[in-house]
Amino acid sequence: MKRWAALGLLAFVFAGCNGGTVDRHALKRDSEKVTSLATEGELLANDISKGASTKDFARVHAQELAGAASDFATSLAKRPTVAGIELKVRKLSRLAAKVSRELDQLHLHPTDRGAAASLKRPLLADADAASKLAK
Amino acid sequence: MKIFQVALGILAAIGGFVDIGDLVFNVSAGATFGYQLLWVVVIGVVGIIVYSEMCGRVAAISGKAVFDAVRERLGFKVGLMALVSAQVVNLMTLTAEIGGVAICLQLLSGLPYRSLIVIAGIAIAIVVWVTSFDWIERIFGYGGLCLLVFAVAAVKLDPIWSQVGHGFVPGMQTQNPTLYAYFVIGLLGAALTPYEVYFYSSGGVEEQWGPKDLGLNKANAMIGYGLGGFLSLALMIVGGSLFLVKGIEPEFLGSIALGAEVPLGQIGLLLAIVGILFAVSGAAIDTLFSGAYNLAQFLGWEWGRYRAQTGAPRFTVTWLVLLVLALGAVMTGVDPVQLTEFAVIFSAVALPLTYIPILLVANDRSYMREYVNGRLANTLGLIYLLVIVVVALAAVPLLVLTNVGQG
Repeated sequence: MKRWAALGLLAFVFAGCNGGTVDRHALKRDSEKVTSLATEGELLANDISKGASTKDFARVHAQELAGAASDFATSLAKRPTVAGIELKVRKLSRLAAKVSRELDQLHLHPTDRGAAASLKRPLLADADAASKLAK
Repeated sequence: MKIFQVALGILAAIGGFVDIGDLVFNVSAGATFGYQLLWVVVIGVVGIIVYSEMCGRVAAISGKAVFDAVRERLGFKVGLMALVSAQVVNLMTLTAEIGGVAICLQLLSGLPYRSLIVIAGIAIAIVVWVTSFDWIERIFGYGGLCLLVFAVAAVKLDPIWSQVGHGFVPGMQTQNPTLYAYFVIGLLGAALTPYEVYFYSSGGVEEQWGPKDLGLNKANAMIGYGLGGFLSLALMIVGGSLFLVKGIEPEFLGSIALGAEVPLGQIGLLLAIVGILFAVSGAAIDTLFSGAYNLAQFLGWEWGRYRAQTGAPRFTVTWLVLLVLALGAVMTGVDPVQLTEFAVIFSAVALPLTYIPILLVANDRSYMREYVNGRLANTLGLIYLLVIVVVALAAVPLLVLTNVGQG
């Protein structure tokens, strides 16, 4: 009995980590996460544009951030939603995909200061758009 | 040269206080609640100083480390339970730290993560095999001091110091008290994480401490863990000054390094990554040794790095097996940061089984003679035991209620 209770507990924990129906609370959390990834990407882009980062750090960290944004894009594109928020969820998915593509540019061109400077504004705009979806 | 003698405390603290989980946990706490949780770090630091001093004193006077006491005081059955829980948490933490070493190497070199896991594992094995205990302490303890760059970053980020000051006074200004409680429990669990005292007390025996070293024990506990706490505070202030303001939830080791890069540029970034590399490598060695110490002490085997490998063969085989198991686990692709968060919370559950025997032995005159706990040590020890029990009871429910701190 105790073993089943423990398994149930773990299932509950992990169910909350990933998948399942997107409700308003989950939409808010995921919007905040996408906002965070885009803002962090903008910070990194800013440092690259000033020559304040290193090639390997910029390449690896941009890839980490891009991967996380891509995971959100994939997951939010297909997860079921509660009534009334599906459009917002799919919009957030597209936004996460865009953030992922922009971060991929940083990953591919970690020393290109011009490219990094040109990505700052779109990443900030994405962060702003994602934060609006959280409200 | 006296300063070099506190290397054990510094390694135990750098490895225990600012391992991969603490780095992310402290910065996340700052990014989520600003400076509101600084007081928890202070409480955690005092607690670990109290118990480390106690178990260091026990080691110096009786020559016994923590798991000797666990076996003697808790009996075989309960002692075995403590051993199993300690080993599971040790292995989880070791896995996470090896992953952390590989991530740092990747941030420095850009090489593939999986290859770096293997390189990290081999490097740790070679260092542990060929390097004396003293030099392991010095290399990783003092190398980890590069993390002081976060103190400079915290100042450079120009926080509102009056708000920082308020953070040292317990209080809760949040709409999410459950998440706040989760961070309190997590920070306390991370500060009091059991492998720190396993390593510290066994290290005292390794260094063959005696009654004349009690002053050194106090200095190690206070300077080492005080420094670890200082670094934790700096990390939290960086989290509050940079990430909270920007709305960033730092979830990667790279995010932590970015916290030094933004205010200090490339030099800050490099010092941060090197400091993290030494800290997580030190933590990997702490946990690797702790796992071997615990098993050897519980089963009454010969143990100790001060002996030749052949002088304590089962101890040597144990740490080699633990290293291979952890390497296998990290190669499955498990996220080191998430894993260590689970390890911190689960280790909180096992805290009483570690700390109760220490308190009992430190009060036993047949072991400790005139060096038994005084009134202050007992009062603080009992207060912290209460804190530890609350942390142990609340850890898993809060983990579930907050969806692993996701709110």
